[in-house]
Amino acid sequence: MGIRLYQEPQLENPILIASWPGIGNIGIIAADTLRGILGAEEFGEIEPWDFFYPRRVLIKKGVLEHLEFPSSKFYFRRIEGKDIIFFIGEEQPAEGGRMYAEGKKAYHMANLVLDVAEKFKCRRVYTSGAAVSLTHHTAKPRVWAVPNSESLIPEIIRYGNTVLMSDIEGRGGQGNITGLNGLLLGVAKKRGLEGICLMGEIPVYLQGLPLSYPKASKSVLEVLTYSLKIEVNLDKLDELDQKVQQRIEEFYQQIPLEIRGQLDRLKHVTYLPAEAWQAGAQPAEPGPITEEEKKRIMEDVEKFFKKRGEGG
Amino acid sequence: MSQGYPMKIYREPDLRQSSLVLGWSEDAGNLGRKVTDYLNLKLKGQEFAEIESRDFFPMGGVAIKDNLARFPESKFYTCSEYELVIFQSDPPGAEWYKFLNSVLDVAEEHCQVKELYIIGAMISFSAHTTPRELLTVVNSPEMKEILSQYDLNREMDYQTAPGERPTLNSFLLWIAKGRSIPGVSLWVPVPFYLAAVEDAQAQKRVLSLLNKRLDLKIDFSDLDQKIREQNEKLALARSRFPQINDCINRLESNLMLSEEENGELIKNIEDFLREGD
Repeated sequence: MGIRLYQEPQLENPILIASWPGIGNIGIIAADTLRGILGAEEFGEIEPWDFFYPRRVLIKKGVLEHLEFPSSKFYFRRIEGKDIIFFIGEEQPAEGGRMYAEGKKAYHMANLVLDVAEKFKCRRVYTSGAAVSLTHHTAKPRVWAVPNSESLIPEIIRYGNTVLMSDIEGRGGQGNITGLNGLLLGVAKKRGLEGICLMGEIPVYLQGLPLSYPKASKSVLEVLTYSLKIEVNLDKLDELDQKVQQRIEEFYQQIPLEIRGQLDRLKHVTYLPAEAWQAGAQPAEPGPITEEEKKRIMEDVEKFFKKRGEGG
Repeated sequence: MSQGYPMKIYREPDLRQSSLVLGWSEDAGNLGRKVTDYLNLKLKGQEFAEIESRDFFPMGGVAIKDNLARFPESKFYTCSEYELVIFQSDPPGAEWYKFLNSVLDVAEEHCQVKELYIIGAMISFSAHTTPRELLTVVNSPEMKEILSQYDLNREMDYQTAPGERPTLNSFLLWIAKGRSIPGVSLWVPVPFYLAAVEDAQAQKRVLSLLNKRLDLKIDFSDLDQKIREQNEKLALARSRFPQINDCINRLESNLMLSEEENGELIKNIEDFLREGD
């Protein structure tokens, strides 16, 4: 039970980029897009049966031909002195119908992923997910970065379009990263590995929809590729985003006018660039929306989704 | 292989080349439970082992059924005279792979099981007067060949629909295949309005196959009587209630009912059958 490696590539100082599905599939789209662009090669997997219930059966002429499980695969790509290992999990090993992993199985999977990382002398791990925030779908998503070590903060501050939790108003540097995208960071810390989770912002009113949000994946990838000092063409994500934005607009028009009017104001929220924070300005400066108004928007959005959930 | 797995073996059965028949509780028409209960009754099955529930079922309370608090059970019975092992269980809610392997561990290591028969019911939108078909899904061409001498639908094509998951039966069949145990899932369509009660005809359809295949020499006169009684009750319901009759007539003419009509038919039939019990 556990890990199956088909080959053992010779890698030099690799970093690990790991991701599982989550809200808007922001992290997994980012990781999988980069894996595809770089042409990373599959070299192993975590055997699924202890973690997952099968997801598809194929029966032909009365014979059970195939039973398919969610995959959890490792890929590698050599890039001039900074090799990359990708881990892409098609599902989180959740129990009881939950979307996010927790408990023994999640911990076990996180450790298996890091066993492979450490086998290849990896010292840094990136994960990625979604940051649900008061932003608008026409705005460029920022990236919330959470490191697992104080020493990584100066590096993160140099990234563009990136904020630390302490820069998010009302959070005071606190928060949670649900599921394996977060847990891996903690387990990495416990094992002495550097870890950074990059979370792309998704508007609060989109978090419950069965939609991917590639616009945020692009923001994440911009930060990630900057950090890795590699250049990639992300046009593919723009194309995907255009299609998704159409569906989002269709949904947006269904929101009652009064609430939509409030949400429209999120288009005008502005933030100071990172250099301004370093110069001692307020962590994140809101535009023309007051705290009271933000609170009201949140309440309206919650009411709207509650009503939709009740079939109203 | 089973060391460390949560199971209790009360005694070692004396079996040399046995078949395992497996039925889950709570499928349509309670088919798995009814068939395995019937086999145990007729063949004097003796309990010899169980899988402990703690790792496989949510321990968040108890379910109540027929006024009684229930606790999930997963028990093995043996009918040594017939080289038969019966496994009757609630479907596990977690650790499915471990659970299903535990079942096959007991079957192989303690019972020398060579063949596997899994009972399954599927909801049908046909009338109860339609003869029950028996569909099979096997895990090897050899098993398909073995079953060719019986009157079965052995040519089913199926692929999991989006948003759905494979059945536990397919999962078990697949694990058995990995262990080179020939197995078959036996699927009987149960009319939707009998799904929450029972379907004696469906029980007979499965039991008849097992009787022939495993040479069990069962006398089904009691089950035939039960089928007659159920059919009579349903005929009575049709004669008393034009609404029930109209719905079943339409099903017999291969016409679909509306969702609301389906719901009413289920309720009316269940109420009628339970009143008569």
